[in-house]
Amino acid sequence: MMNATCKDREHIFEDGTPGEWAALEAHSNNCRACAEELKAWKSLSVAAQEMRDYTDSPSFWPRIERALATEAQRNTQRTVRRGWLSFLPSIPLSWQTAVAGAFVLVLTISAGWIYVHWPNRPEQHDKSLLKSAALENVEHAEAAYVQAIDKLAEETKPQLENPAMPLLANYQEKLAVLDSAIADLRAQAGLNPSNAQLRHQLLAMYQEKQHTLEEVLEARKQ
Amino acid sequence: MGTMGLALPWKARIASVPRQRETRVEPSEHYAGGPNPAVVDAITEDATLATGCRAGNLHAYERLFYLHGARMKNLARNLLGNPVDAEDAVQETFLKVQRSIASFRGQSSFITWTYRILINTCHDARRSRLRKKEVANDDSGETPRPEPRAPGAHPSLRMALERALASLTKHQRDVFLLYEVEGFRHAEIAGMLEITETASKNTLFQAKKNLRLVLERPRGNAAEPR
Repeated sequence: MMNATCKDREHIFEDGTPGEWAALEAHSNNCRACAEELKAWKSLSVAAQEMRDYTDSPSFWPRIERALATEAQRNTQRTVRRGWLSFLPSIPLSWQTAVAGAFVLVLTISAGWIYVHWPNRPEQHDKSLLKSAALENVEHAEAAYVQAIDKLAEETKPQLENPAMPLLANYQEKLAVLDSAIADLRAQAGLNPSNAQLRHQLLAMYQEKQHTLEEVLEARKQ
Repeated sequence: MGTMGLALPWKARIASVPRQRETRVEPSEHYAGGPNPAVVDAITEDATLATGCRAGNLHAYERLFYLHGARMKNLARNLLGNPVDAEDAVQETFLKVQRSIASFRGQSSFITWTYRILINTCHDARRSRLRKKEVANDDSGETPRPEPRAPGAHPSLRMALERALASLTKHQRDVFLLYEVEGFRHAEIAGMLEITETASKNTLFQAKKNLRLVLERPRGNAAEPR
């Protein structure tokens, strides 16, 4: 028969074989400390039985059964909804792949054809891509307006070059400032033709120049 | 009872409660000889149950309940602390089994798999309850509140052990309840908790050592969590 000592106790408690347990029992007959430990250890297992309560509860299974039946019914409905796709698993995977590949190929060819034959391709009409028709109209009108103002400026040129009055000298300075501002705005508008804010400011400057030139002409009449 | 004043429940005289099973005081892991007919029957039963449940047969679920329902509910009650939550957890487990039976590949036994679902469901329920408590600013703590049990059970002993169990780690509590209360073998527990058999044995050993420490403390400190 196997022998056990106090040192073996912990190991036997953790993972002892039936032989080792028997040896520990035999040892505890002569060792009070081991007898106490063994008793306490076993008592825990005995106490654990108090936590066992297998009382039958008659309403419990019917409740679970109802829940299972409801879930099964829901599953059936889901399966029916997915029914139209049920033929897919019956088709071999290689065929499914081939069909998907063919579909992608047809899609690619169609897209390519549309790209090539599209009537308004960007490279053919890059001008219309950058400038809308409305913007072109504005630019035409603006050019005509500028030409008209330049004509007006030509008319006032003799007075402004030889100002007879201090008022005309002031007009000349004002027109110089306006021309400088107009040149700046035109440069910026050239970089960003669609900027409506710049165009508004430019228009305001032209209008101011027009009024100033009109005032110069009025001053000449007086 | 005078002995209970010592706060050493194992020294108390345990009431003569009729035992439904033999008390686990000695190792039952070391078998000798050929295949046990009971084990062969259990394997066959397990396979039959799995097949029936996979086919959606309600009788198979009923059989599962008949064989394991009470034990499942007892385990859930010991993990959650009250019979209402325990019944909910068991019902949820049955539904989860039904939903995911198609993914059961048979790497472990069907029953082990079912108990694994139950234990995870109980842990989820416990976490969710804890979150709700935090939201409600309830400072009553995580410790499940024990409720009255079978009239035959020794109330002081049971309550002392339940309080002591609350001081264990989740893993130690699981292993102790599965081995000592529900009577599962370490091999089965290893499958349920996805740990090794050695880890299960070691965890049980640590759990029992800790329980002894807690139960040996003077009464006023017995419920203090570690």
